Amino acid sequence: MPGIDESLLDAMRLQGARGASVVDWISGLALGAVGDAPGGDVEATAAETAELARLATESGALALTGKGPGGPPDDDSGGPSGGLSGKEPPVQDLIITNADSYHLLRFVTTTFDSTVFVHLWLDRDEGNLALARIRLAEMADRLVLG
Amino acid sequence: MTTPTGTLRTDEPASAVLGTLAEQGATGALSTETGIVYLAAGHVVHVESAVTPDLGDLLTHSGALAPDGWWEAIDQAGRRCRVGRQLVDSGHLAAGALELCHLGALFDAAYFVLAHDGPALRFRPGAAHWLGAVRSVPVETVLRESRRRRELLHRIWPEPSVDRAPLARVPGPDAADLPARRGRTLAQVDGVRTAAQIATALACRTFHTLVELRRLAAAGLVTPVAPLLPVPTSAPAPASAPAPVFAEPGPSPRPAAPDEPETALLRRLLHALEAL
Repeated sequence: MPGIDESLLDAMRLQGARGASVVDWISGLALGAVGDAPGGDVEATAAETAELARLATESGALALTGKGPGGPPDDDSGGPSGGLSGKEPPVQDLIITNADSYHLLRFVTTTFDSTVFVHLWLDRDEGNLALARIRLAEMADRLVLG
Repeated sequence: MTTPTGTLRTDEPASAVLGTLAEQGATGALSTETGIVYLAAGHVVHVESAVTPDLGDLLTHSGALAPDGWWEAIDQAGRRCRVGRQLVDSGHLAAGALELCHLGALFDAAYFVLAHDGPALRFRPGAAHWLGAVRSVPVETVLRESRRRRELLHRIWPEPSVDRAPLARVPGPDAADLPARRGRTLAQVDGVRTAAQIATALACRTFHTLVELRRLAAAGLVTPVAPLLPVPTSAPAPASAPAPVFAEPGPSPRPAAPDEPETALLRRLLHALEAL
């Protein structure tokens, strides 16, 4: 059963992978990182991508259209069991492209309080974005489900 | 400096003592007034604080793990200090899930243990936590992250009384269209509970709850009921007197706060004793 490091090393086996990390999008902390980070700075990358991820999860416009415009789905339920659906990030992936690389952020869904995503930095010439997105989603599931 | 054992010089802040212990590759438990930091070979392996939910609270109160599974693991592996490993080996939890939840709890507790960097009180060499090794973190990383978190809260809303005082909703402003997490947090604000009690009720980490509460305070939706320090406000009159605020949430007054910090500490002590 893979832990954080094994999962990240798994992601690094994708062709063109430059670096991978698990980041908390509320605190901006990298809980684990392998490979390189842009500018060689894992912490700054984590803090900046976390801010982007937070804005995406809090955006009403980017949420699932079926549930209305991003309002809290279980606003008045109160207790700790407040509905699992309300704990799922409303966004699955963020994909950022630039001239030489892709950045792929995949939100991880857990029953307990975690607020994390997996960040994969991929070389644009060598990497396959569509395949990487599928593999990263599988990896994120294995990370928390075994 | 010699290896710190037993009672420490009280004038040295916990962060300085932790730095020394890290250099020495020490193993043991460092107590401060607000919690305990467990070290193994100079790395932080576990942190306990009375104002943050521990791993068991986060897992069982959220429904990620049945309480029976948690107690079973403590029964079977508490004495050997391998409860974390047991949760994974018995199939109750994926290894990644355990690491994510454990690190979440570790950095959460560390923030509150180191927030005011009080004196280190006692170091017990060789003491290990019954949870056992899950994932260790360098002392420097923990210290740096705690500083960064303090700055993050300050940037959101520079009003520390939000962190400790009972909180009330501010009548008036429209609270619709909040992000789900912030909405769930606001729903727990009842004029009585503090941030730590709201975090416990939601089975959320306390720092992450503070972030939402400071954003709610910045948006003018939440205010401390009795600020610990007199704070000059820009509002011209004390319009947010407690009485109407209490009346605001609706007809059903909430019961008393379910889990005082002291209760949480006693409960944790009970867990530890039963694991022996």
